[in-house]
Amino acid sequence: MAEAVGGVAEITFDTVKIKVPAERWVEIHRQARDDLGLVFFSWLSAVDWTVDVAVGDPPSGEVVDHFEMLTTVADLTEGKRVTFTADLSKDDPVIASLVEVYAGANWHEREAAEMFGIRFEGHPDLTHLYLVDSFIGNPLRKSYPLLSREVKPWPGTVDVEGMPGSAADPTEPSEENPEA
Amino acid sequence: MIADQDLVRHLSETSVSVSLETPDMTLNIGPQHPSTHGVLRLVARVDGERAYDVHPVIGYMHRGYEKLSEVRTYPQITTLVNRIDWVSGYANEVPFIVAAEKLMQLEVPERAQYIRLILTEMARISSHLVFMASYPLELGAATPLFFALRERERVLDLLESVTGGRFHPNFNRIGGVKPAYGSGSQTRKVVQDLPAGFFSETRDAVGHVLGVADEIESLVAGNEIILARTKGIGILPVEVAASYGVSGPNLRASGVAFDLRKVESYLPYDRFDFEIPVGENGDSWDRWWVRLAEIRQSVRIIQQAIDGIPSGPLQAKVPKVIKVPKGETYVRAENPKGEMGYYLVSDGGQGPYRLKIRSASFSNLSILPWILEGVLVPDIIAIMGSLDFVLGDVDR
Repeated sequence: MAEAVGGVAEITFDTVKIKVPAERWVEIHRQARDDLGLVFFSWLSAVDWTVDVAVGDPPSGEVVDHFEMLTTVADLTEGKRVTFTADLSKDDPVIASLVEVYAGANWHEREAAEMFGIRFEGHPDLTHLYLVDSFIGNPLRKSYPLLSREVKPWPGTVDVEGMPGSAADPTEPSEENPEA
Repeated sequence: MIADQDLVRHLSETSVSVSLETPDMTLNIGPQHPSTHGVLRLVARVDGERAYDVHPVIGYMHRGYEKLSEVRTYPQITTLVNRIDWVSGYANEVPFIVAAEKLMQLEVPERAQYIRLILTEMARISSHLVFMASYPLELGAATPLFFALRERERVLDLLESVTGGRFHPNFNRIGGVKPAYGSGSQTRKVVQDLPAGFFSETRDAVGHVLGVADEIESLVAGNEIILARTKGIGILPVEVAASYGVSGPNLRASGVAFDLRKVESYLPYDRFDFEIPVGENGDSWDRWWVRLAEIRQSVRIIQQAIDGIPSGPLQAKVPKVIKVPKGETYVRAENPKGEMGYYLVSDGGQGPYRLKIRSASFSNLSILPWILEGVLVPDIIAIMGSLDFVLGDVDR
């Protein structure tokens, strides 16, 4: 199947993943729909590969900063499904819109656009989907902090009282305020 | 006083030059409307009695689970995901847990898989019964609600007796299921895994469900008004449905016999005998009918699963601190609302590097601008209700 569309295939845990060049994104999806019978549009999203993380752990290995675009399309007979992927540069993340091929890509692309800051060329209406119109930033980028974590770190110090006698025991009177 | 003849002449002269024009009106439905099952706003341009350019505004319930799961551990995420589609909370957990197990290459004990399967089907019954209750209500028939919710409560009580929660069970563990609520000390070697009498009560309950399915059918299928308002209304062709990613009962109502329970292996459905109910015309009526038929099939599956449930452990051996090895996978499941899937990217840590949540209602709702184009204003509710979405499942 990978040869048919001209990509590199990898099977990871029952998931067929085909890496394709970003320039041929639309063409390959059209081929998948028309020639391979993958008519069902399941989802589209992206992964932010970077070491510049504000939340969670950075990747363990070395990574090149990039966005990994992902779509999954499927058939409606045997249960075949393929995940297509393409790499986008962080400097100018832009890819052609799939709306012409799969109408359902519309909302998924709007979501990816607001969450990652990816531009979809040819999309009819690339406005915010979930976020309010005035929202600034791309929340699903790894560099975007999680505000609740900024206020209270987690998993950090356990928010229960320490054991009696331990240094973290808040019930022991502190030196500055012996009355407390 | 103008003579009649003069009046007629006057009218005929004026009306030839001016054609009747109705100004377009913008109609807002929601954000709070009983038929939206959450907080959804529709903005439509109304020309006379017809709606055009329907524009759904979503995001009122966006909780950012994809971002949150990047800072949570795998066991903690179970709590998040069963809040996605709260009407069938249990079913949301399964594909996520299966994805993590797949990356860890864990073999889940058969008994645990059967318990998962039974509870998933019970979640499907309860979700479809909510639809059986709310959809006729939206069309003005209040009676089915009482029948459907009464039996749903019986099913939810059983779910609660096993998991401890009616809506948010948080019952699945990576590698199995947790010993049931009230089943005694978890450190003892032999734990009673399901509450006493669960199987006989479940048999009893699904028997009642079959009975109420017949009652609802006679109440609704013989209702002239409902028939008139749903037959031929909101027809969704297969090609359009597939291209928008509409899945589940909505897709099958359009005539495709495609059910992920038959083609994916997230739970041992291949051991059971059940049919895929399929609609003929893809209209609102078929979407109602398919769900009713699915309730009956779920009952069949539950009865067979209870007969065939093996004994054995509930939990595979897992380390105390769960770390999922590096890898990526997509696991999708046939949830009551449609295809629910998780694309899990793990980097070997205690939580995912990225978790993409593919929820059924999101894609099912994205059909609205297409399916509501040019329909009569009262049909908006009839069509929207037939798609059976939950806004928590849309907004995630």
